[in-house]
Amino acid sequence: MFGFLKQVGTYTQEAVSAAKYIGQGLGVTFDHMRRRPITVQYPYEKLIPSERYRGRIHYEFDKCIACEVCVRVCPINLPVVDWVMNKSTKKKELRNYSIDFGVCIFCGNCVEYCPTNCLSMTEEYELATFDRHNLNYDNVALGRLPTSVTSDPAVFALRELAYLPKGAMDPHEVPADAPRAGALPAQVLAGLTAAAEDAAPTTGAQG
Amino acid sequence: MVTLPVATLPPAGLDLQASFLDVIQGLGLSDGLAHLLWLPLPMVLVLVAAVVGVLVNVWLERKISAAVQQRIGPEYAGALGVLQPLADGMKLVFKEDVIPVRADGLLFTLGPVLVLVPVILSWLVVPFGQNLLISNVGLGIFLWISLSSIQPIGLLMSGYASNNKYSLLGGLRAAAQSISYEIPLALAVLAVVMMSNSLSTVDIVNQQAGAGILSWNIWRQPVGFVIFWICALAECERLPFDLPEAEEELVAGYQTEYSGMKFALFYLGSYINLVLSALLVSVLYLGGWGFPLPVEWLAGWLGQSVDAPLVQLVTASVGVVMTVMKAYLLVFFAILLRWTVPRVRIDQLLDLGWKFLLPIALVNLLVTAALKLAFPAFFGG
Repeated sequence: MFGFLKQVGTYTQEAVSAAKYIGQGLGVTFDHMRRRPITVQYPYEKLIPSERYRGRIHYEFDKCIACEVCVRVCPINLPVVDWVMNKSTKKKELRNYSIDFGVCIFCGNCVEYCPTNCLSMTEEYELATFDRHNLNYDNVALGRLPTSVTSDPAVFALRELAYLPKGAMDPHEVPADAPRAGALPAQVLAGLTAAAEDAAPTTGAQG
Repeated sequence: MVTLPVATLPPAGLDLQASFLDVIQGLGLSDGLAHLLWLPLPMVLVLVAAVVGVLVNVWLERKISAAVQQRIGPEYAGALGVLQPLADGMKLVFKEDVIPVRADGLLFTLGPVLVLVPVILSWLVVPFGQNLLISNVGLGIFLWISLSSIQPIGLLMSGYASNNKYSLLGGLRAAAQSISYEIPLALAVLAVVMMSNSLSTVDIVNQQAGAGILSWNIWRQPVGFVIFWICALAECERLPFDLPEAEEELVAGYQTEYSGMKFALFYLGSYINLVLSALLVSVLYLGGWGFPLPVEWLAGWLGQSVDAPLVQLVTASVGVVMTVMKAYLLVFFAILLRWTVPRVRIDQLLDLGWKFLLPIALVNLLVTAALKLAFPAFFGG
């Protein structure tokens, strides 16, 4: 008899705590309804990619020395470097260079290792085509300057959450020239040199 | 058909049928012809109300779901996307109606009809005011319970006729779920019925009309309210009880093979059922068409007679608005619940139904009976 009552007691406790947890969950979902939608209405609004964004690769034909380091560091040996040996000048003569973005994984190894910095990552990510063979970019296509989201008048460019000023949550309401959160590399550097200069005279006075 | 007010009831509320019949007979038509003209009007009105209710419900579902997930939701079809459900409906109307080759054509077609018809028929007993319902059937709420048990037959039928393992499993789950949750649902309703001494929905609401919000059944039947709401969600196959359509396991359950208008019937049926359940919760526990303050008191303070035509009209409109508002509050709650609680497993579902809700509902019924004997003034003598 007593055991049964105890069972009923624990069962009731469990039921009450379950109800409490459901209540807590409802509180969370209800609270979310008051929050700003995180939606970026894509064709009309676009996020500005970060500086380190690894998008379509830009390539400068004239800088390339056809060393094929990019091919060797590529996980799948993707870049095609088409060169011939010019016997008379004893130099490599680059004829063509291409990367197939249908296969590229945008790891950035080629950019990292290129000895002449002729490769670089851009912020372009809209590479869709009707035919996958169109994704095989030759040196002309690779050499095209990247377009920026901010320069497109038809697009409302939004800054990513980490780039918004401190406290701001809605990129729609932040003007384009508002200072971003955190310091730019130049500002960090200026701060460091100032600190070093501050530190130098005090040590000199003590010595 | 709207019945005439019984002599014992307060004469409140306008009687549209009597007024309509008076006008038609005033034009010199016979009594029978006037009745014949009146007959289709409330039916069509309620059917339209049900369908519009579904459209509003679908829109709310999409918008609230979006808000809960910090999205925007439909935006381009009409202002704030209000025409989106209409666009969905139009798409389904024009879609090809496929019957799988090895399926049983007759049962396959009959299934969705058998699901939808009882749900729409149940609107017969939903009161929006003293005389604002299609029929004040004496069996009232019991009619709804019995009609809602026809639905699983339709689900099972469509699941079996689809000749698809997912459909069959979905149909079987739907049947098991409906049978398990029908019993606590009926017991919860029984406790309310016991307090109001009547199965008629109008009587149930009138019994809660004494002192506005304080006399609503939710204060006297809090446990019954929770049981009824859980069971209603299970009957509507809403999350957390959407096992029959669990898309991760069963594709879409019994709806897997359906497309076009037949699918639309299921879709319509499930949403009409949700609105209906919400309406019945508001009727059974939240005072139906009652305003939080009794309208009679308000009229008295304003120095108006309750029987004045204008006051009657205002009272009736307030009643309709209150019923719909309470129902949609519950619909909102159901949608919020959808994004809060995860789906239960089939064993948890049956555990909850048989080992938790059923005993609690029985205890609730017994306690209500005891309280009714002990305090007849508060629990309906």
